[in-house]
Amino acid sequence: MKFLVNPSKFNEMADYLFRPLLILSIILFAIGLLFSFYLSPDDYQQGSTVRIMYVHVPSAWLALLTYAIMTIYSILALAFRIPFGFIFNTAVAPIGAVFTLICIISGSLWGKPMWGTWWVWDARLTSVAILFIIYLIIIFMNLSFENRIVREKVVAIFILIGSVNLPIVKFSVDWWNTLHQPATISKLSKPSIDPSMMTPLIIMTFAFIMIGVAIAILRIKTEIISRKSYLS
Amino acid sequence: MNFLNKIIFFYYREYKLNMSGIQDILTNIIFFFISIFIFIFSIGPDKETISLIGVGILWTLLLLSSTLSLRKFYQDDFENGNLLIIHLNGFSFGFISILKTFSHFLFVQVPFLLSIPIACILLNIANDKLFYLFASFSIGSLILSCLGSISSSMNLMNQRNFLLGSVIVMIFSVPVIIFSVGIINMEESFNSLINILFGILLIVFAINPWASGLCLKLSLENS
Repeated sequence: MKFLVNPSKFNEMADYLFRPLLILSIILFAIGLLFSFYLSPDDYQQGSTVRIMYVHVPSAWLALLTYAIMTIYSILALAFRIPFGFIFNTAVAPIGAVFTLICIISGSLWGKPMWGTWWVWDARLTSVAILFIIYLIIIFMNLSFENRIVREKVVAIFILIGSVNLPIVKFSVDWWNTLHQPATISKLSKPSIDPSMMTPLIIMTFAFIMIGVAIAILRIKTEIISRKSYLS
Repeated sequence: MNFLNKIIFFYYREYKLNMSGIQDILTNIIFFFISIFIFIFSIGPDKETISLIGVGILWTLLLLSSTLSLRKFYQDDFENGNLLIIHLNGFSFGFISILKTFSHFLFVQVPFLLSIPIACILLNIANDKLFYLFASFSIGSLILSCLGSISSSMNLMNQRNFLLGSVIVMIFSVPVIIFSVGIINMEESFNSLINILFGILLIVFAINPWASGLCLKLSLENS
């Protein structure tokens, strides 16, 4: 597992992994989109708009997952002095921002036919919007510092402080009485979703993970190369 | 006693600095009142509407105008080297940030606290709400000072884009705004909401020395 913390080991591993991941993600996207458009049933209340879920839910999960991994890497980088964490934070923040943006846009497209508005000031929606702004601040911080050492540590501290938002996003549907529905799929109980809708959701989630990891590999490799030229 | 003397001299110095630049504090207050005027001009002088949304306007403007002076939080001391001298006198960076936070509370937030009654008259807020406003603002402003300390120490080396500091304060002050406006609008649940606000204060107060101390150290090492 050394490739998770060591840049040169990561480069070796990335060369093996990148192409298979890309091909796998394309295949999974093809199967998942086929399932979600033609092979899954309409909802008895929502009709065909339920198909937005197959994009909305995976992107929301990945937005949270990306931030959680960034938090773990910030702790590693600050506490154990592993510089790979800083590389990871710089490279991955835009990917998380894009996932959050996809989640917000697809959610508001779903909200218009179902709730009647594009946007409501609901706890879940507001906290996800704040997550998006936090991602944007991280990106802007990465752009606006001149000193690299200060920049990466300050960004890591900011990520740690901003991680208070993660449990708020996750549990906002349980703590407040929101319009957004609570989680349907959880590890502890049997999911309350039909298997015919579960299958495309799982496939789409894996497709999103694959494409996210592939882009992350590309960005991390670029970041490593730019730092090498910086150091030498 | 030596240590206490140093703390007293630290605050004496802060007092001198702030009194020599008292026009900055007064400009903050003027900004606060001018924004109230502009709000009322844009909404219209209807008394019912104003008293309905007055508390929200008041809190928003207090937040905005207290973020105006963030630039001066550490920047002057950082650039003329006083921060290093204070540190060499036996204060750790975390402790400096705590002292600075209280100094910011005393010299920037307390004038706002004193100008709240006049703003209440202008915004037609009932007198019995004044106590709740004072209670929520005296806790909330300490939270804002802590957040200001964190964000301005983060942005010490950021020469290009200082507005980022204000954005950081505003994004983390969302819960403060929610609970403190909630206190005033729901007086029956005063105790529970003020406890939540106090809990947020304790969390932020615990994070503040660690985060700002680390950022100050980083900036001084790499400047």
